[in-house]
Amino acid sequence: MQRIFLLGLNHTTAPLEVREKVALNSEQALAAVSAFIGKFNNCEIVVLSTCNRLEFYTALPDEAHGDGQQQWVEQVVGFLADFRQVPAEVFAPCLYQKTGEAAAEHLFTVASSLDSMVLGETQILGQVRQAYDASRQVGAAGPVLHPLFQRAMAVGKQVHSQTSLAEGRVSVASVAVDYAKRIFDTFSDKTVLSIGAGKMSLLVLRNLVDLKPKRLLICNRDHGKAATLAEQFDGEAVDLEKLADHLVSADIVVSGTGSEQALITRAMFEGVMRRRRYKPVFLIDIALPRDVEPSVGEADNVYLYNLDDLQKTAEASREQRGEATEAAGLIVAEHVRQFTAAERVRRLGPTIDRLYRRYHAWAQEELERAMPKLTNISANEKEQLQELVRRLVNKVLHDPVRTLRQSDALHGPTAQYIHAMEMLFQLKEEEGQKD
Amino acid sequence: MAENVPSSVEIVGLVTAAGLMAASVGASIGRSWKVSALLKTVAAVCGWFSIIVGGAVLVSHSAGRGGWLPLDDNFDSLGASGLMLATCALYIQAVRPVGGLDWVVLPVAALLLIGAAVFGRTLPHEYGETAWSWTHRLTAYGGALALVIAGAVGALYLLAAHRLRAKGLASGSGFGNLERLETIAQHAMALGWPLFTIGLVTGILWGIHLTSQGQSESREFFGPKVMLAVGVWIVYALALHTPINPSFRGRKAAVLSLIGLVLMAGTLVAVQFMPGGTR
Repeated sequence: MQRIFLLGLNHTTAPLEVREKVALNSEQALAAVSAFIGKFNNCEIVVLSTCNRLEFYTALPDEAHGDGQQQWVEQVVGFLADFRQVPAEVFAPCLYQKTGEAAAEHLFTVASSLDSMVLGETQILGQVRQAYDASRQVGAAGPVLHPLFQRAMAVGKQVHSQTSLAEGRVSVASVAVDYAKRIFDTFSDKTVLSIGAGKMSLLVLRNLVDLKPKRLLICNRDHGKAATLAEQFDGEAVDLEKLADHLVSADIVVSGTGSEQALITRAMFEGVMRRRRYKPVFLIDIALPRDVEPSVGEADNVYLYNLDDLQKTAEASREQRGEATEAAGLIVAEHVRQFTAAERVRRLGPTIDRLYRRYHAWAQEELERAMPKLTNISANEKEQLQELVRRLVNKVLHDPVRTLRQSDALHGPTAQYIHAMEMLFQLKEEEGQKD
Repeated sequence: MAENVPSSVEIVGLVTAAGLMAASVGASIGRSWKVSALLKTVAAVCGWFSIIVGGAVLVSHSAGRGGWLPLDDNFDSLGASGLMLATCALYIQAVRPVGGLDWVVLPVAALLLIGAAVFGRTLPHEYGETAWSWTHRLTAYGGALALVIAGAVGALYLLAAHRLRAKGLASGSGFGNLERLETIAQHAMALGWPLFTIGLVTGILWGIHLTSQGQSESREFFGPKVMLAVGVWIVYALALHTPINPSFRGRKAAVLSLIGLVLMAGTLVAVQFMPGGTR
């Protein structure tokens, strides 16, 4: 039997500098899943990689405790270090691990956006779905992770539809606009430059466009995409190669590319500021890894905000939404309870099934041995005897099976009861014979 | 020094200068209805030409009476006051325009020129000292007030900028946005600095006048009040002209205006509490 195992890091355990080193875009996540199942003999896995977290959900054998579990952790860490070409010591201290019910609760909390930096944000549910779909695509999700992720998505939907968590939330985009209003008085004479076409940067851009700036410049490696966006937002498509020139005229810059290297360096930006005559500039870097070198923000009249900065500000609204948070927490707790019960049944199912089959088979065997000794027995009586034997077996097994089903609620881990049941009733022998 | 009443030519010259100022104001007001490069040129040309004409008239009159101190003469004192005001207003509109500044200041300057023309032939020359002292007080204190505002707003700018850098939007800055604060500070300096300049010049000339009459000693010119006032003037001159040195804007300009504020406070203390300060 296998249980859920989670290994990951998030915005509360790892700073932005660490997260950007190990972050995976959608293509990389899919490649990681494929590589993982290739390396670990088709072990189940779902990789959830967002701006705020990187989490590996896997299936760990029940027998793996203590050293066995630690060995598994080391293997997964080593895999990630190799895949991202990042030394393990960079990110290993930021990792957390959870198993079984705790792992399920964590995922449900994440899908409900209760663990997000921006409480109530709706993107995370789509990201969880994407991660699950990617694993399904390569056959990496199995009997352990299928029910987990399907229920996680159901939890997320229920939380968003039945609570006010998503309402009144302060989004990253709205925080970016608020900061812009703290820097600039009017926008009708300002130029906005957008670099890249990530979902988050488009959200921010949409909010900035509502301020009606004088000019909107759209910059993208793919000029066709830039042209499409320029048409959509009534802007101008510009070349990425002339980025420095565009930065000179831009008062607000939104950058959200998938570039592994910083596009805007300190050296480049010093020249830009000189040419801008040191007019204030607002840089919004929502890429991971970052598009703008952090040292750019140290210059005078340069206001640089990265994803963490904006999200932390958005998070500040969390205290004001206690009721919605509480309601969401109750939904999550109920789903954890239901999932755990269903898991118990799932794990018990084969054992109970084997128990019933064995004893019904024995009862039938004994009945057939006794039948020839019973003379002049009618068909109806024969039927009654079979029913008697069947009911006897069910009655005998009823109490132990009921106790087994309620085991986690009453005494200890289900695994121990299953093991005891298998030993007492010799169910493992039968399983071996069947194989 | 000869008593010298202005000639008819000089009076006509000064009235012409006043008329040119009025024309400049008219063209400037006209631009608010119709944006026109021609009106802008007319306003600038009339304004500066009025300064040239007025200046020439005063120089001629001073040469005629054999004295350069304007306080000795109604014509010169009133005329010089008007020309100084007009010069400062036109300068500010040229380097850092304040909407409507010339609409307010140039008519006052024109009135002073008209006053010079009317009272120029009046004896004795009492208006000189009266007008001069009022000009000095109003411009010195008015300029100081505007510069204090500039310094205070500069302090708010620094606080707002600090909060922005600390990414503390959640707590709210409450100080207004940086661009508006910078604009207010620049406008306050744009108004305050020329006023303060006039206040400084009229004060120094008044001091020379009193010294020449034996009512004051020359060492008072090097007293804390004047020295600090000159220091303030230099600081705000730098802060006001930061666009010329573009790296000196935003936070740096705000720091400079704050330094000016501290010096201004020192000047005001020196005026009130130090020897020779209360004039």
